[in-house]
Amino acid sequence: MLHYIDINKLKLLFVFDKTDPLVFTSSMFLFSFFILLALYRLFYKSKPIRIYLLIIFSIYFYYKASGVYFLLLFLITFLNYFAGKWIGATKLGGKRRAIFIAAILANIGLLTYFKYTNFFIQIVNEIKGSQITPLDIFIPVGISFIIFKALSYVIEIYLENIEPVKSVRDFTLFVFYFPTLLLGPIERASNFLPQIEEDNKLTKEMIGTALFLIVCGLIKKVVIADYIGINFVDRVFDSPKMFTGVENLIAAYAYALQLYTDFSGYTDMALGISLLLGYRLTDNFNAPFKATSIADFWRRWHITLSSWCLDYLFKPMQMKFRNMKLAGNALALFITFTIIGLWHGPSWTYIAFGAIHGFYMGFSVFTKKLRTKFYKKTGLADSKVVKFIQWFITFQLVVFAFVIFRSPSLSLAGDILKQIFSFFHSEVFLQFVKGYKLIISLILGGFIVQFLPESVKDKTRSIVINSSMPGKVALLVVVIWVVIQFRFADLQPFLYFQF
Amino acid sequence: MISDKLKKVVLQELDLDDFDFNDGTTANMVPGWDSLTHIQIIVAIEKDYKIKFKGMEILKIKNMGELQALIDSKLAGVSAV
Repeated sequence: MLHYIDINKLKLLFVFDKTDPLVFTSSMFLFSFFILLALYRLFYKSKPIRIYLLIIFSIYFYYKASGVYFLLLFLITFLNYFAGKWIGATKLGGKRRAIFIAAILANIGLLTYFKYTNFFIQIVNEIKGSQITPLDIFIPVGISFIIFKALSYVIEIYLENIEPVKSVRDFTLFVFYFPTLLLGPIERASNFLPQIEEDNKLTKEMIGTALFLIVCGLIKKVVIADYIGINFVDRVFDSPKMFTGVENLIAAYAYALQLYTDFSGYTDMALGISLLLGYRLTDNFNAPFKATSIADFWRRWHITLSSWCLDYLFKPMQMKFRNMKLAGNALALFITFTIIGLWHGPSWTYIAFGAIHGFYMGFSVFTKKLRTKFYKKTGLADSKVVKFIQWFITFQLVVFAFVIFRSPSLSLAGDILKQIFSFFHSEVFLQFVKGYKLIISLILGGFIVQFLPESVKDKTRSIVINSSMPGKVALLVVVIWVVIQFRFADLQPFLYFQF
Repeated sequence: MISDKLKKVVLQELDLDDFDFNDGTTANMVPGWDSLTHIQIIVAIEKDYKIKFKGMEILKIKNMGELQALIDSKLAGVSAV
C-alpha cells in the first residue's frame, strides 16, 4: 500500500507552483478540502476556531495560486477595514468624501498597477513609437474580483447602506474567503457579513443542495467545457483559416456554451463548497441563453459583476448625464459596458467585447420607443413569434460578442467571420457530425439542458436532497469517476474534411 | 403620504393609468419602473417641482416615502446632505 503514496506528491501540496493552483477540480484540492471539512466539523462548537480555520485555509489556498502575493490580501483587508471605520466615524461633509475618494483611488491604484501597467506601456509605445520595456509584474489571481468586493464594502458604507464591521477577524474572512478568491462571485458585505454571526448549522437541504451544485459544476466544467474546449474550440480559434466556415460557426456557438459551462460550473462548485461550510453565496447565472434582450442577458450572466457595475458605475453616471435625455442613458451604458470589458483583462479584444455590448444597449435605448409603438400598433406585444425572434436575435448578438471576447486578437476575430461568410462549405456539416459525434452530442446536450424549464432543475435538486446518505455518496463517486474519464481521455484526433 | 402631484408625475412618465403608491412602494413593484425609466422620472420631478437633486441623494433613496421626503425637504429649502 505504501508505495502508492508518493511522498514527493505530498510535499508538492506545500509548494507554490504558478502553473498548478488549487482549482476545485484538482485532486489536491479535494484532499485538502476534506481535511478542512474534518477539522471544521471537529471544532463545530467554537465559532472563532472555525473562522480562523477558514482564514488559514484561504491563505493556503491563495498561496498555492499566487505565492507570496497572499500578503496582498492582508494589505487589501487592512486598507479597507480602516477606510470603512474612518468613513463610518466621520460626519457627512467634505472630509468624509475625501477619505472615500482616497480609499477608491488606493483600491483602483492597486488593481491598475498589477493588471494594467503593461497595457498602458504598450499603448504609450504604440502612440509614441517608443520602446519602453514592460515591467515584470505578476498579476495576482482573482485580483479584479477581490478589489471589486472590497470597493463595494467601502461604497456601501459611504452611501450609509451598511455599518462598518467591528471585528477585524470577520472582515478578514470576508476578504479572504477562499471559495470566491479565484473567480468570484463578487459578494456584497450585506449578504456575507451577517452570515458570520449565524451558527452556520448544516441542514439536510444544504447538504443535498451542495452535492447537487458540486456534481452539476463538475459535469459542466470537465465533461462539457474542458472537453469541447481542448478538442474543438481551441483548435479552431488557434487557426481559423484551416477550418471551413461551418466549423468556425459551430465553434462560435460551442465557445458560448464552453464559456458558460466553464464559468457557471466553477461558480456552482464554489457555491456548493461554500454551503458545506455553512455560507450561502450569491449565484452568478440564471439561464443566460434564455435571454430575450441584451439587458435581460446581463441580468442573467455574471450577475454579481453586472449588478456591481449597475449600482456603482451606471447609476451615478446616469445621474450626471440626466439632462442629455436618451443620449445620456446611452452614453452611461456605453461607458459602463466598456469598463466591464476592460475589467476582464488588459486587451483590446476585451475592451471591444464591452464596447460591443455597450453599443447593443445604446441601440436598444434609442429604438425602444419605436419598438414599443410598433408592438402596440400591431398588437404583437406578447406574441410567441415575437418572443422567439427576440430570443433568436439576442442569442446571435451574444455569441458574436463572445467570439471577439475569445479571440487572441481583433484580426483573428476578423478571420473567423471571413471564414463563416465567404468560406462556408455547408457540405462539410454532415462529415463534421459523423466525425465529431461526441463533441456534437455534448454541444447539443449542453444547450438543450440550458433551455429546460426551471422546474426540471428544482425537481432534480429535490431528488438529490431527499436521497439517502449512501445514495448521495454513490452519486458523488459516479460523477467523480465520469469526470476522471473525461479529464484523462485521449485527445480527439484532428479531423480535416473533404470539401 | 405620497402627494397627488408626485403620483401624477410618475404615472405620466411610466405611461400608466393608475397605481396604488404608498410610502413603502419600491421601483420594482411598479410596472415599467426600471433603471432606464428611473432617471426619466427623476428628471421629470426636477422639472415639475423646479428643484435640483444631488447624485448622492438619489442613490440613497429606497422607496417612494423617501423620495417624497426628499422632495419636501428641497421645497422647504433644506439641503438633505
